[in-house]
Amino acid sequence: MIVCVAVVGHQNNPLYIQSFTEADDALKLHHIVHCSLDVVDERVNNPKKSGPMLNETFLGLLYPIENYKVYGYLTNTKVKFILVTTDLDVKDADVRNFFRRFHTAYVDAVSNPFHVPGKKITSRTFAERVSTIVKSFGFSSAA
Amino acid sequence: MVREVSESCVDSLMTEMVACYCNRFYANKPELAARRIEAIGYQVGQQLSERYTMERPRFGDHLEAIKFICKDFWSEVFKKQIDNLKTNHRGTFVLQDNKFPWLARMSVDPSADNVSSVEDYSAPTAESKAAQAMSMHLYFPCGIIRGALSNLGIPCAVSADISSLPACTFIVRFGI
Repeated sequence: MIVCVAVVGHQNNPLYIQSFTEADDALKLHHIVHCSLDVVDERVNNPKKSGPMLNETFLGLLYPIENYKVYGYLTNTKVKFILVTTDLDVKDADVRNFFRRFHTAYVDAVSNPFHVPGKKITSRTFAERVSTIVKSFGFSSAA
Repeated sequence: MVREVSESCVDSLMTEMVACYCNRFYANKPELAARRIEAIGYQVGQQLSERYTMERPRFGDHLEAIKFICKDFWSEVFKKQIDNLKTNHRGTFVLQDNKFPWLARMSVDPSADNVSSVEDYSAPTAESKAAQAMSMHLYFPCGIIRGALSNLGIPCAVSADISSLPACTFIVRFGI
C-alpha cells in the first residue's frame, strides 16, 4: 500500500507531498522523503556505483527504512518523484508503471499556465489524478 | 490521446502577440516589450521541455542537451530539425535554421533593398526599422530555447540573428 508520494524540485524544494494514511505520522513521512533526497543525489553523482543505469530516469529502491520502502525517479529536468510504500512484495514493473503515469500527470499539471514554476502544485485535478493512480497501484499487475 | 492545434492559428497568435506588445502595451518602449515577450517564451520553453523529455533517459552533458533541442525539440515545435549546428567548444553554440517557420511568411519591404546603395541619412532608419520589427518576432523563440535549456539545468543566454532571410540563426552562450 502506498503511504506517501512526493514531488521535489531541482533545488530540493517540495512541490507536492501527499500522504495516504489516516495515521498522523505525516511528519515522519516528510522526514523520510527528505532523507531520501540525499540518497538520490548520491546515486546520481556516483557513476561507478550506478553502472549501466546511469542515465535512466527510474532510480529503483533507494533504501528500506523501518517497514517502509522508498523508490525514486529523477526526470530530465532534475525533478524528483519519491514513493514510500509499505508493501513487502513490490514488483519493479509496477513501480515503473506508477512513475510513468505519475510523470504524465505531473507534466500536465506543470503545463497549466496558471502554475508558477517553483511553487507548490495546487491543482485539484492533479491531486485527483494522483489518488486515482495510487488506488490502482498493484492491482493492474494481475493480468 | 494527443490534442492538436492548427499551425495557422499558432502563426496568427505569434504575430498578434508581437503586434500587441509592441504597439499597444509597451508602445514606444521596445526594450520592455522585448523583455516581456522573451519572458513569456521562457515559461513556455520550460513547460515544453518538461513534456518533451518525458520518455527519454537523462542527458549526460551539455552537448546532448543541445542536440536534443536541435532534433527532437525543434521537430516537435516546428516539424523540422535545426539545419546546422556549430560550436566553438568554449560554451557558444550556433543553431542555424534555413527556413524558420514563423518568419517564412513575412514580407520584407522591397524599398529597403534599393536605398542601401544610396547615401542618404534617412536610409539606415528605414532599413533598421524593418530589421527591428523583424527582430521583435525572434524574442519569443529565443525565450523558448532559453527556458528549455534552463529547465534541463543549463543556464544560458540566447540571441538571434537574421542577416539572411528566411534563414535564422540562434546563438546560445553558456556559463552565465
